[in-house]
Order: sequence, then structure tokens, then C-alpha cells
Amino acid sequence: MRMTGSRWTALGLLVAAAAAYWQASLLPRWGFDGPGTGFYPQVIAIIAMVLAVVMFFVDNEEPSSSVDDDNAVPRYGHARPEERRVFHIYLLALALLVAGCWWAGFVVTSIVVVITIMRFAERVNWRASLITAFSVAAVGQIGFGWLLNVSLPEKAPDLALRTLMRSAGLL
Amino acid sequence: MENLMGGFATVFQPATLAYCFIGVFLGTVVGILPGLGPLTTIAILLPITYKMDVTSAIIMLSGIYYGVAYGGTITSVLMRIPGEASSVVTCLDGYEMARKGRAGAALGIAAFGSFFAGTIGVVAISYLSPPLSRWVLAFGPAEYAMVMLSGISLVTYFSSGSKLKALLMAAFGLLLGAVGSDPMAATPRLTFGVFHLAGGIDLVPLAIGLFGISEVLSMALQKPEKMQVLAAPTGFLPFMPNRDEARRSAAPVVRGTFLGFLVGLIPGGGAVLATFLSYAMERKLSKNPDEFGKGAVEGLAGPEAANNAGTAGAFVPLLCMGVPANAITALLLGAFMIHGVAPGPTIIERQPEIFWGVVASMYVGNVMLLILNLPLVGLFVRILEVPRAWLASIILIVCLVGVYSTNSAAMDVLLAVLFGVVGYILRRYGYDLGIVILAYVLGGVFERSLRQALAISDGDLAIFVSSPLTITFAVITAVLVIIAMIPRRASPKPAQATSTPTR
Repeated sequence: MRMTGSRWTALGLLVAAAAAYWQASLLPRWGFDGPGTGFYPQVIAIIAMVLAVVMFFVDNEEPSSSVDDDNAVPRYGHARPEERRVFHIYLLALALLVAGCWWAGFVVTSIVVVITIMRFAERVNWRASLITAFSVAAVGQIGFGWLLNVSLPEKAPDLALRTLMRSAGLL
Repeated sequence: MENLMGGFATVFQPATLAYCFIGVFLGTVVGILPGLGPLTTIAILLPITYKMDVTSAIIMLSGIYYGVAYGGTITSVLMRIPGEASSVVTCLDGYEMARKGRAGAALGIAAFGSFFAGTIGVVAISYLSPPLSRWVLAFGPAEYAMVMLSGISLVTYFSSGSKLKALLMAAFGLLLGAVGSDPMAATPRLTFGVFHLAGGIDLVPLAIGLFGISEVLSMALQKPEKMQVLAAPTGFLPFMPNRDEARRSAAPVVRGTFLGFLVGLIPGGGAVLATFLSYAMERKLSKNPDEFGKGAVEGLAGPEAANNAGTAGAFVPLLCMGVPANAITALLLGAFMIHGVAPGPTIIERQPEIFWGVVASMYVGNVMLLILNLPLVGLFVRILEVPRAWLASIILIVCLVGVYSTNSAAMDVLLAVLFGVVGYILRRYGYDLGIVILAYVLGGVFERSLRQALAISDGDLAIFVSSPLTITFAVITAVLVIIAMIPRRASPKPAQATSTPTR
């Protein structure tokens, strides 16, 4: 049996469904007043596992590549080295987005993410990258964060900026 | 009619009219911005309405809800990124029309179709609310469960691609909806020991991850010139559909309006299910089903009308029964309760100024939206001229704002990114992610109804075939699932056959 991308995907879904079933099996299926907490997720997880197993054996076709089909979601395996490089840096930007929310706050995260994408992935010049990064951070923080009171990740740099703005009479 | 006139008198007060305008304008803007959906916006603005008059507050929040349906179309057509879940279907043919140089026509058809559907939907609310609420009130838990189940089955059956994959995605959507507190006993489950998951997976990180972030990843692997396919029309005329497009969109708009309104009435149904069903119906009725997904006018017009009509329809169970049809109307219900008003069958008699004020505001709001949307749409068309570097950066930051602001939790951002990566892989292998969202949204009501019905019958499954209504839905579900499970022989593709002769 040849392991295609489709089969790996079905296998991944099977593992996820099995993990959900394992979690659900720790809960009571039936109580004195009817179905218990575990009843519904157990039933759905079993259905998902059965379907994933069927998919594993039935679905052996590789989807068409972006080279031949404009409608296809671009495929990593068919991408050229340059496109792969861009894709990897986008993934890095997503990792930085998550890490930044925890440890760096909104302003630093947005500047770093925008520069990562623009300068390092897309090779936009430094000047345009920096201007865009600082503009996005400023609009996000001032517009959403302070004027609309939208909750944004807030760490020391954001607090420092707010203090600076207040002391300058801008807030 | 007198009551409705009274409602108009309320709406045409300057302050109320201003709140109506603010609501529909904000709705359009957040619908355009990928990531910031109506749920987030209404949740953010809810505290602001504390000191407002109840009618004005509900009018403004309602305006955001139905305004989003207009705004969501723009990003769906121009960027293939749904501003909110009910615009997912619009991406399929709206975006393809735009790629063929008909972006203006696609947006024009969507705006006129939405206006027609929204207006008819509001007329229907005005005249059909009392009898419809009596009919829906007759639903018991078994009926609700079967309606939900047949709804999911219909959507999977009508989905493009493999029915098995659609069923699998429906199961995963239901599983994702089951994460967190049990809706009846409030016991945490499927949390894998992660404290944050005890409250469940929020719709916002799930939807933004599956659609927004996975789209950014797809963009990364596309050739840069793909982002510049669409031509930006200027002036008013390019937004008008040509004669053929107008003729082809007329019937789907009417069908989408009626289907959308009826589906919107079902708690758990709403605009998302309405758009999927409308798309499926149009494809089945079309003489050229192969054109769907490649820029079919019918595939845009029908779902757009269904979206707006479904949004209008969702107000019926909220206003007449006090039952929210979806998460957004649940927030509106919360706004009512904050102001000491309990929506339900008695609201029409006891507080007619609120009920009819909200209904009348929808008429006015739809006119405002049409006037706002067509002139402003030209500005947003220019978004397509923005290179991928700028577009991807801005989308990611807006997604960050939308996801984080929902619960002020960095964990939600992590979840959104994980869903984005998984969504990219699933899309790559032909899985329909819209079904995940739909099943996720319906999951809560479905489980509650299922368990209530089984508790009533003491575990006897016969309760699900105990009335003509449940029997009908059970038969529909069974037939659709059996058809979906029957493996079909795929016709070999000539290109693949020649390129890989050994297979």
C-alpha cells in the first residue's frame, strides 16, 4: 500500500478522532437522568474514526497540482525552491505571531511579523517594510487598542508607549 | 400595519436613525475586514449600549449583524477571504467571477440581491412572525435534533467533491463543537488537560484559522502575479451586471430569498446553512453544473440573497420565541436581557415599540446599506492592487486583533494558527472546511436536543421516528447518508493518465 498525501491526511484525522474518543471514554456514557457527558462525543468520535478509516482505504488519489490547475490550493511538493522559501518564512511569521502574543505585546509583534513577511519573505526594501510595519502597529494600537478599546496583547513596550503618549498629551 | 408605522416613527427619530446608520456602517466595515466578524464587534460594543435606550441599542447591534452580510461579500469576491462564515460560499463563484474581470458585476449582483432579499425578509418578519412562531414552538427536542441532523446531512450531500470527506468534516465540526463544557451538566470534556479549552473552542479562532490564516498560507505558495488578476473597475457602470448576468441572477435571488428566510427561522440554521443550501440548490437546478466554482452567476446570486434573507429570518425565533438562532443572535438576546427585556411571544403585545422599532429599522437599514455599498465598493476594489506582501501582513495583523480581542487570550491565537495550518492541509486534499464551521455551529443545539429527547424517552430511539415531522427528517437523513457512503468510481483524468501511466 502506497502512502499518499491523501492517506497521511486521513491517518491524521483518524488519530485526532481516536484521541477525542479516548478523552470522551473517560466520561460517563449514561447517567440516572439520561445520556451522560461522554455519550455525545463518544458517538461522534466513533463515527469520525469509521469515516477516517474508510477514507484511508478509499482515497488514494493525489490532488492536482497548482501547475496544472489554477483552482487548486497550491501544493508544497510542487512548489519551486523560491516559493518554498516564502512559505517557510510565512510559517515562521505565524510562529512569531503566537509567541509575540504571549511575550512581546501587540506593537512589537505586529512590527516583527510585518517585517518578517515583507522584508524576508517578499524581499520588499527595508524602508517600505519599516514604514508599513510601524504604520500597521500604530493604527492597530491607537485605532483598535486605545480609541475603540479593543483588547490587544499588552506587554511592557505597549505600556511604555501608552505612558509616552499620555505624557505628551496625545491620549 | 399601524404597529409597523409606529415602528417607523421610532426609527425616524434623529438619534435612533443615527444609531441605525452607525450599526449598518460598522457592520459593512467589519464584514469587509477579514477576521473582525459581527460576533467580535457586537461583543465589543455590547458594554457601550448599557446606557443607551433599549430600542436604539438593539437597532444598532442588529444593524451590525445584517450589515456584515453586505460587507462580507466584498472580501469574499475580491480576496477569496470570507469576512464572516456566511460569506464562505460567496468565495467560490464570486471570486472566480472577479478573476474573469467581472468583479464589479459580482459585487453589483450581490448588493442588489442582498437588498432584495433583506427587504423581502423584513416584510416576511412583519407578516409571518406570529403564525411561524406558533409552528416552530411546536417543535420538541426530537424534532430539533432531527432538523439539525437532516440539515447537516443535506449540506454534506450537496457539497462539492467527495461526500465521504464532507461527512468526515461534519463529524469533526461536531467534535470541535463538543470541546469544553457539557451544555447540560457543565462538565469539561475533550480538553486534554488544557485549562483554556474548558470554555470550549471559540468560533472566531476556528473560523479565522480555517479560512483567514489558511488563505495566507496558500497565498505564500502562489505566484505573485495571481494576486493581480483582477481589474479594478471605476465609476458606477462597471458595477452593473450585463443583461445576461442580470437574467441569470433573477431567479436564484428569488429562490435564495425564500429558502434563506425559511432556513433562517430554524434555530441553529441561520445564514450559514442558508447559503450552503442555496448554492447546492442552484447547482442542482443549473443546466451547467460544471460551471459552479468557476464563476457561475447563479452560484453567487442565490447564496447572497439567502445570506441576507437568512439573517432576517434568524430574527424571528429571537424576537418571537426568545431563542437565538446562532451565536450572534445569542449576543443580541443578551443585550435585550441587559436592558430588562425578555424577547418572546409576549413582546409583540407588551412592548410593541421595541419589536416593531427593530423590524422597521431593518427596512431603513437595508436602504442605507444599498446606498452605502455601491459607491463605496469601488474603493475596496482597489485592495486588489495591493501586492501580496502588504496584503498578507495586514490580514495577519487584523486576524490577530480579531482572534485576541474575543477572549483576550493568546491561547486563541495559537489555536487559530494551528487551525490555519490544518485548514491549509485539509483544503489541499479536497476537504470542505465550510462544513466544519456549519457542524460546529449546529453542534450545541443538536447535542442538547438529542440528549433531551433521549432523556425523555429513557434511551428509546423510537422517539426520533415518533411524529410525521421526525419521520420525514429521519428518512431524508438516512437516504442522504447512505448515498454519501456509496463509493463512486472516479472517472480517470486524461492528463493524469498520460503523465502517470503506471498507476
